[in-house]
Amino acid sequence: MTAVAPPLARQRVGGRLVAGAFGVCAVVAAVAASSFTAQEAVPGIPMPGPVVSVGLPIVRVLLDVAAVAVVGLSLLPKLLGFKMPEHTEPVMVRVRPLAVLAAWAWAICALVTIVFQTAELNPGAVPTFGMIASYVGNVGTGQGLLFSAACALAAAGIGLMAVRFGEKVPAELRIIVALFGLLPIPVTGHAVNSVWHDPIMISMEIHVMGAAAWTGGLLATVVFLAPHSSLLAVVLPKFSRMATVCLLLVALSGLVTGLGTMALTPGVTLPGAIVTSHYGVLVIVKTALVALLVPLAAHIRFRLLPVIRRGGATALASWAVAEVGIMGLAYGVAVAITRASIA
Amino acid sequence: MRRLLTVLLLAFTAVVAVGVTYSPAQAHNVLIGSDPKDGATLAASPSQVTLVFDQAVRQGYAQVGVTGADGSSWADGSAVVAAERVSVKVKPLPAGGSYVVGYRILSSDGHPVTGKITFRLAADASGVAAGAAAGGSSADAAEAAANGGAGMAVVWIVGALLVLAAGTAVALRRAAPAAAPASTAAPASAAADGSVGAAGRGEGTGA
Repeated sequence: MTAVAPPLARQRVGGRLVAGAFGVCAVVAAVAASSFTAQEAVPGIPMPGPVVSVGLPIVRVLLDVAAVAVVGLSLLPKLLGFKMPEHTEPVMVRVRPLAVLAAWAWAICALVTIVFQTAELNPGAVPTFGMIASYVGNVGTGQGLLFSAACALAAAGIGLMAVRFGEKVPAELRIIVALFGLLPIPVTGHAVNSVWHDPIMISMEIHVMGAAAWTGGLLATVVFLAPHSSLLAVVLPKFSRMATVCLLLVALSGLVTGLGTMALTPGVTLPGAIVTSHYGVLVIVKTALVALLVPLAAHIRFRLLPVIRRGGATALASWAVAEVGIMGLAYGVAVAITRASIA
Repeated sequence: MRRLLTVLLLAFTAVVAVGVTYSPAQAHNVLIGSDPKDGATLAASPSQVTLVFDQAVRQGYAQVGVTGADGSSWADGSAVVAAERVSVKVKPLPAGGSYVVGYRILSSDGHPVTGKITFRLAADASGVAAGAAAGGSSADAAEAAANGGAGMAVVWIVGALLVLAAGTAVALRRAAPAAAPASTAAPASAAADGSVGAAGRGEGTGA
């Protein structure tokens, strides 16, 4: 045991750094981007206080971080495969309880987001249960978040079964329930009033699920498998294929949604609005972040992956820190973009 | 890999299903017009101010204020929402001033939208212009129909929460003996670190 402990201890710090980089970047970007897009006060209208205007993006981005964690931790058994349980089981024993805790965090963040959004609509008042109930009853955003929380709790329930019964609980079921919980999230964002509403909504759903699978998969792979070079040699190639598909889906659906939403909003003229509206600027920022991700992802795939396949040691964790940090920034900006004014 | 494809296919079907279910027009409202118009100079004090959006505004959360240059408030009562029109009655305004109409409405996709328009009253303005009253009971009904109730969902969620909380407590306690005594810290931390450390030690013991 003493012989095993030192390398594990060093790698744990690496894992923490990767997960922490994602979380910190996401929160910082969410607060920064939200204060950039904050609607300026107008005379005669009370505005929500700083607790709400800063707290809401933080809670909202923590919801995303928790959801990404659940999706990633649910994907991990699928990526690891089920053929060599003697190697994968020690990892999965650590992963399964974490998936349950992350699902709980997701559900709680979704419910707290409902409270904050109620407070945002009733400036100057502490939300009462009646106000929250009427918000959820009247506004689709509240219902969507409630549905997401319910899915997160279902994911926690299935995760508990997995803690108890191991891989007898199908990994696909856990993935589907986690992805299903992401579906209502785009409903809380912008929508357009046109016949293109449904295609844009579907593009948005693909964007959200692709981003969660890509980010979550990378986080789970690096945090839990970086110390196990033999497992990494199996999982990283599989993840790399999935990530390529996700990258294409996320970039394409993001552009379709962003430009489509702007084009279909009355009073917005492209391409001028891309630089004049908050929404357009954030679309540019997100496009730039995805463009930054491409060389990092390509480095991991084409330079590090062949070495990892041969079982060699690489600086995967450091490259992954950079990649998930940028992903975290993109997630933070995403929180602001769903609420930014388009015109 | 084929099973993964099946998962993706199923997920995509769910996407389509949900996307279509949520299709009732829920979009971000944009101000497309107003009475008085933005920047207009009026010859008579308006009896009410009306803001027109590109689509229906949600009932219940709309706020409209009419503020003079000195910060005085001239709105009389609270805003009335009638489908895409939001109006508020205005007290007789002194002539020769400029006024700001500020609004914060709940867009039909659930976001608060704020903004303002300005108008001036001519120095020789007199009397009060007659305004058309707006009625909105049909808009109420349409909006109520577009939104489902949430009462039962709360009951289900509370029930599921209690069962899950009990399950989590039991499972984490059961996982504890395998993962060394230090893991008592794990349930308290929602973040990865606590239980990673504890479980990592358990793995070392196993190997």
